[in-house]
Amino acid sequence: MDIEEVKRRAGPREFSPKDDMPEEYRKAATRMIQFHANSEIMGAYLERPFIREAPSLDRKLACSAKVQDEIGHGQLLYRAAESLGMKSRDQMLDELAEGKGKFLNCFHYPMSDWVETPMIAFFVDGAAMRRQATLKRTSWEPYAHAMDKVCFEEGFHVKHGEAILHELMTGSKAEQEATQEAFEEWWPRIIQFFGPTNDKSTHHGFASEVGLKQMGNDELRNAFLNAYIPKAEKYGLEIPDEPRIRKNDDGTYEVVEEDLDWDEFFTIAKNDYEGSIQQIDGRKAAQDAVEWVREVMDEHEQRAMGASKQQAAD
Amino acid sequence: MIWEVFRQENAGDYHEHCGNVHAPDREMALMFAEVQHARRKPTNSLWVAPQPEIGEVDTEDAKFGGTTDKSYRWASTYDFEAAASEVADSTNEQVEAERRRKAQQDKQEAQGGD
Repeated sequence: MDIEEVKRRAGPREFSPKDDMPEEYRKAATRMIQFHANSEIMGAYLERPFIREAPSLDRKLACSAKVQDEIGHGQLLYRAAESLGMKSRDQMLDELAEGKGKFLNCFHYPMSDWVETPMIAFFVDGAAMRRQATLKRTSWEPYAHAMDKVCFEEGFHVKHGEAILHELMTGSKAEQEATQEAFEEWWPRIIQFFGPTNDKSTHHGFASEVGLKQMGNDELRNAFLNAYIPKAEKYGLEIPDEPRIRKNDDGTYEVVEEDLDWDEFFTIAKNDYEGSIQQIDGRKAAQDAVEWVREVMDEHEQRAMGASKQQAAD
Repeated sequence: MIWEVFRQENAGDYHEHCGNVHAPDREMALMFAEVQHARRKPTNSLWVAPQPEIGEVDTEDAKFGGTTDKSYRWASTYDFEAAASEVADSTNEQVEAERRRKAQQDKQEAQGGD
């Protein structure tokens, strides 16, 4: 199939591993899905310490279930990426450990306090879910199938995040102030989640032409702001004056781009930020610590496969 | 050999198990599957897999979803109006899945009681 045909046919779940896809498509899809998978894994690692930090048993159980879900989403997505025939799952996991794998901006910032958890679990997950819901219609079928399961599970994450936010914002004055402070710190990062405006995004054009991406950054950002600004205000959070956000008469929002720190954003995009290195190395250490488990499993697989081959030969 | 057959109705759908065929090799299994399972039912694609290669665990061996209260894992436990339509969709899917899981459990318990 040539690129022209891909563009002509590009519809929801249109292409699957049995289609002979051009390299340009397979590269773009691999880049996009690998980024998504990496983000699931790095998000899980960011939240993992809060299983221990959680203030109650209910929260502990929910945080643990959530981290488990996110790691599962990562695995599911590596499989979807693998089906494009460009990279193996192991290769992608190694790239993540070596600092070559890219992932979402918000997961490059360390998180130290419980009051920060709803910033990820409600706002960032809410933003991610907005995007993921549109990806159920992506043109790479295995990616869309992964999104079915991810979106099924994700509702719990966002609502649990909202429950934490509600609890904090109806808590003591100190809790409310600390939550507001965390919100002010995270808000610009959350706005940057959707990346720069469409015309500045490097990969947007091709990915949407071939149906991988279903909605542009601006539309997604608008939909997110429309749903989540009222929620933030409802819980008594004050939206910071900067970045300036203008509401247009048609219900859309305009973010004043120069109010956001794009130098930091692009440093993060290259994994060069201080937090990037900390997060990547932290996850690598965890991966190394359980290397022996994978080795044992591999040896067992070799033995089991060998035995079944022998059986087949009998 | 028996081959299990999985049919996909439309492109982009999931392959769902629809029966099996008896055939000496993969090629003939596909041919028989085509005739037996895709002649009248709308079909976009078929998979066949040798029956002995399929692993199974069922309700006799496993307690799917666990035996302890895991309501903390369900969106419906957190009683907030969904922030956005996709959150509402996910919640509805979960409510439906949990309702069916419970109904199935009740049915099994009732059968076990006979």
